[in-house]
Amino acid sequence: MATATAPAVATGGHEEHRTATGMSNTKLAMWIFLGSECLLFGGLISSYLLYKTRGSGLPVPTDVFDIPFTSVSSFVLLMSSMTMVLALSALRRGDEALSRVWTLATAMLGGVFIGGQVYEFTTFLREGLGFTTNPASSAFFTLTGFHGVHVALGITMLMSTFVMSSKGKLHQEQSETLEIVGLYWHFVDVVWIVLFTVVYLVPA
Amino acid sequence: MAIVEKPLSIGTSEPVLADRPLGVLTRPKGGNGWRDWLSTVDHKKIGIMYGVAAMFFFVVGGSEALLIRSQLAVPNGQVLSADPYNQVYTMHGLTMVFLFVMPLAAAFANYLIPLQIGARDVAFPRLNALSFWIWISGAIFLNSTWLVGGGGADCGWFCYSPNSGVVFSPSHGVDFYAIGLLILGIASLVSAVNLITTVINMRAPGMSWFRVPVFTWMMLVTQFLLLFALPVITVALFFLMFDRLFGSQFFNPDTGADPLLWQHLFWIFGHPEVYIVVLPVFGIFSEIIPTFSRKPLFGYSFVVFSGIAIGFMGWGVWAHHMFVSGIGPVSVAAFSLSTMFIAVPTGVKILNWIATMWGGKIWFATPMLFSVGAVTMFTIGGVSGVTHSLAPVDTQQTDTYYIVAHFHYVMFGAGALGLLGACYFWWPKIFGHMLNERLGKVHFWLATIGMNLTFGPMHILGLQGMSRRIDTYSSGFGFALWNAVATIGAFTIATSLLVFFYNIWKSKKDAPNLPDPGPDPWDARSLEWMLPSPTPEHNFDEVPEINGLDEWWHRKYGYDDDGNVVRIATVEEAAQKGDATNVHLPSPSFWPLVVAIGMPLIGYGLIFNLWLAVPGGLATAGALFAWALEPADDPDAHHGGSHDDHEAPALTGADTNEES
Amino acid sequence: MRKMSRRTSILGLSVLLGLVLSGCANNAELDTLKPKGPTSREINTLSNWVFIAGGVILLMVIIAVIYIGFRFHTGKPEDDDSYPPQIHGNSVLEIGWTILPAMIMTVIAVGTLITHISVNSTEANAMEIQVEGTTQSWEPTVVVVGQQWWWEYRYYLSSNITASDLKGISAKDLPPADIVTSGQMVVPAGQEIELIVTSRDVIHSHWIPALNGKRDAVPGRYSPWKIEADNPGVYFGQCTEFCGLSHARMRMQVVAVTDNDFQDWIDTQMQPAAVPAGAEELVAAYRSDGSATLPDDASAAARGVEAFISNCTSCHLINGVNDLSYTGANQVSGAAPDLTHLASRTTFAGALLNLYNADGSFNRDDLSAWLRNPAALKDNASTDPIPRGMPNLGLSENTMSDLVAYLSTLGPKPTLQQIQQTQVN
Repeated sequence: MATATAPAVATGGHEEHRTATGMSNTKLAMWIFLGSECLLFGGLISSYLLYKTRGSGLPVPTDVFDIPFTSVSSFVLLMSSMTMVLALSALRRGDEALSRVWTLATAMLGGVFIGGQVYEFTTFLREGLGFTTNPASSAFFTLTGFHGVHVALGITMLMSTFVMSSKGKLHQEQSETLEIVGLYWHFVDVVWIVLFTVVYLVPA
Repeated sequence: MAIVEKPLSIGTSEPVLADRPLGVLTRPKGGNGWRDWLSTVDHKKIGIMYGVAAMFFFVVGGSEALLIRSQLAVPNGQVLSADPYNQVYTMHGLTMVFLFVMPLAAAFANYLIPLQIGARDVAFPRLNALSFWIWISGAIFLNSTWLVGGGGADCGWFCYSPNSGVVFSPSHGVDFYAIGLLILGIASLVSAVNLITTVINMRAPGMSWFRVPVFTWMMLVTQFLLLFALPVITVALFFLMFDRLFGSQFFNPDTGADPLLWQHLFWIFGHPEVYIVVLPVFGIFSEIIPTFSRKPLFGYSFVVFSGIAIGFMGWGVWAHHMFVSGIGPVSVAAFSLSTMFIAVPTGVKILNWIATMWGGKIWFATPMLFSVGAVTMFTIGGVSGVTHSLAPVDTQQTDTYYIVAHFHYVMFGAGALGLLGACYFWWPKIFGHMLNERLGKVHFWLATIGMNLTFGPMHILGLQGMSRRIDTYSSGFGFALWNAVATIGAFTIATSLLVFFYNIWKSKKDAPNLPDPGPDPWDARSLEWMLPSPTPEHNFDEVPEINGLDEWWHRKYGYDDDGNVVRIATVEEAAQKGDATNVHLPSPSFWPLVVAIGMPLIGYGLIFNLWLAVPGGLATAGALFAWALEPADDPDAHHGGSHDDHEAPALTGADTNEES
Repeated sequence: MRKMSRRTSILGLSVLLGLVLSGCANNAELDTLKPKGPTSREINTLSNWVFIAGGVILLMVIIAVIYIGFRFHTGKPEDDDSYPPQIHGNSVLEIGWTILPAMIMTVIAVGTLITHISVNSTEANAMEIQVEGTTQSWEPTVVVVGQQWWWEYRYYLSSNITASDLKGISAKDLPPADIVTSGQMVVPAGQEIELIVTSRDVIHSHWIPALNGKRDAVPGRYSPWKIEADNPGVYFGQCTEFCGLSHARMRMQVVAVTDNDFQDWIDTQMQPAAVPAGAEELVAAYRSDGSATLPDDASAAARGVEAFISNCTSCHLINGVNDLSYTGANQVSGAAPDLTHLASRTTFAGALLNLYNADGSFNRDDLSAWLRNPAALKDNASTDPIPRGMPNLGLSENTMSDLVAYLSTLGPKPTLQQIQQTQVN
């Protein structure tokens, strides 16, 4: 970030931003933050694994999963990582219009995923699996809910970059902004892949 | 940034500080009006605010301690009945850990890390302000439970389920505990990301990893511990909050939940938390002891590596808090062994500090007294810690006053005394005048004798079988004598604190009549001492080029042909003048404060009425949005080309917070 | 002046040390350093060694610090601004003092592991007991159940119950036991007793310092533990995991007796409670859902039965009175102490109060005070929607006195020696 590293010299000229690693502060901070996020999801996933069979006689999540449906929405989210890559590479080439298209596509794919999750949750609710049903359901909804909130925040960030770009404030030189949003987005995707495998695919 | 001769506007075009030139600062001595404090992004001012608030909560937590000790002074005490006692001891623990020791360490981290690495500020000055404001709103929120939550949390700081459930703790105290700690956690997480980035990225040219001062090193390890420990407790706190407010089933044994889940999550955070508390003072010892021994730290790399080793090993020992929980003999054996071996890197440090003093020319000024005293107290706490790493022995000791004695020797003896010593050491750097030495020594001896009177007897009480967290005891168990002694000790500590406050007042009053301490009153070693006292707002006139460990010392001293130390420059020659003008400084912002104000409102909303959360959510979200739009520096203040990419960091910075 | 205060503090330290070494108060019943059984003795041996080792190391460090402080102390730089030789370290030394503590810890680790394995292993020590006339081979085992704020001890004499038998069962639905008692666990001395520790509400911790370390009582879990007393006697305990309001007042005692006395104890405890003369019809009618009234000249104890039936049966059980209709207490834990042989115990209210005075007389005062308002003697949450702890029933003084008269008959009365040994204050 700019300010603190800004050159000290009083001449009015300036040097390049110097950081000890060469990586910008913002990008480094995002990596550090994602390290923390790993532990957040680690805690949530471990708790779910501990509780996934504890139903106290009522349905547990594994009873009501619709694997084909969730596979499709997982695929949608996976594809959004690809469009994210395309958006960034377009911006790096200086093709701002194309970058906006891919950014929007990424956000929309994320939106579809969220929609799928909402649909899935309502189905589960109808089948008798609510947030307060048993430890397994509480752990499941908390885990997937936290992930959903992360996706939603990612969409907000993507739309912010989209708006910035539309207003002509996001150019080739600022592609790092999009890269950092992309880092976050890919992280959220990777978490889902782990989550989908561990929660949905590994048998009870 | 920078030289602004125009009014700064925040967010919308509403001029806020219309009549003040901002940004660059031709070093105005003024600028200490209340608005400047509310909107500051200066790491030094933020550090000072952390310090002041921490001392306030030290008084709060200390008063709670005195209530506890008054109740336990005699058998069948009548000062507090069971319910208020449980609240008071819970809030004492929370206050001392989260609102005193951690923020006081954060105060020094904020103030000193940029100075020690030769930086002009932290990596994200506004996030730094945000950390502070979130922390203080969390602190106020947590304590507001006394007024609006029907009393404090009554579940202990460890808040084991299911006793923390709504059936067993029907008042709102535990809700305030869960949400309060979540808010404090966000503050610490933001701060950890910020400080780690700062240390990794913003070291002055030439400051390779092995030229980084030990205080900064230990703080870096601490921040990594926070970074990885906080999300784990966050998970647990969300579970607890969901259970209490929304009826989820995480900790209800009747539906098959396992109460040990909370214990694991809590201690995976809680044990690193212990090192979060002591590693900063390890750094402080490593600065103060060499300075007053007039020798470099003995075995710098060993001290650094053992700090890192503690940081790693600290993750593998959490279940030693659960030796009697019924986790199975194999787990107990494994955690017992891992706990024993974490004593090794800790012992190494103690020996290194002692070796630093050996052959030195020791000046027992107040900071040195505090440090040597604290190292000794830490050794006592460390040895008693080893005794309960032995799992079979721990089955007798755990949850008795022996444990209370142990961790108070660590948290108070090492942590609090070390930090108080740091106050004496860095006071001239921060405020431009010394603290009175004579009163400082009175403070030290009262505090040390008081703490040994308070916590020493608790070893005996624990071995006599006095349980922790009991609000009363019968006369038949033989606990009366040592409890009375401990209570006398507690009031001695309180007296020592009064001496400290008197010292602060008196030293300030006397300062104009005393000689200026100058940049380097202690003949110290690290970079902050090359700056004038108090530190100018822009820190360094010129970012120094680093040529070795203890850079500042090497600018003052060299060696003659025989290898003897000779002075090569006076402090006045070597120090910076602090008179640079035209230095870019980040612009102040009110948005961190607004973001932070929203958070407790969301908390009250979750507890009392969701509608209350709406203004809170709007404040937080709106302020984050405004923040994202507000450049890190006033765009009007640009001078020269457009090299700054401020907007981007501002955006992701904001999102980062939202996330956590 | 500095030297003075240092010397004083050394003096103070040695006085303190002397006091510590001279031992603790005589009647410290919870003292962890006075083992009275093999397990606690093993732990104590280990802790003695580590205390000595730790003490020596601590003393060396403190002496080193004080010595260095005196020897290398020079004062302010103004007095002497020369610098000593600048030594940055010594690899051999540093590696040495990394390896040395590691080696010390390794030695301690070996000792710890040996003790740990021994403390966690159990021996097969089945003993012959008579249960209702038949001889049983019984592996001494007691199921220990914590709840706010008292301990229940359940004896399954007819079967050798283990922790795995109970897995998956809620502690609120434990199988019926042959003997259920509370506050005092009676065991044969010289026998290793397996404990199966659990809880009906929050986490508690069962601790008899003279016999062994502690073990948490966790709801939903059945944790194995053991105790053994060398000799007959009484061993005090205290709940050590914070469990809410009356955590400090949740106590217990282990009463170790000879094998013969233990057999006698079994014999009497297996009996239903004796019904006071004059109340037989009332009890019979109550048990058959009929109705009966007491004769006009009924004794206080007989009137006490009536009071018990109308006031206490929604929580408490007395075998021979309401065992047929008892469905569980109206408490969060679903349990209240089984009163069948209340007066055969010497303490009540979670081993907090004496049921007998030291002269052997029944402690009517404390029991009456308890019935008058339990929360005044022991904090509880009996006014919560689902109570935790005994509520104030608003009994009249007459009713209370009748109840006390009845409860005092629920013997057999313990020996004077036992009463005196178990006195709490």
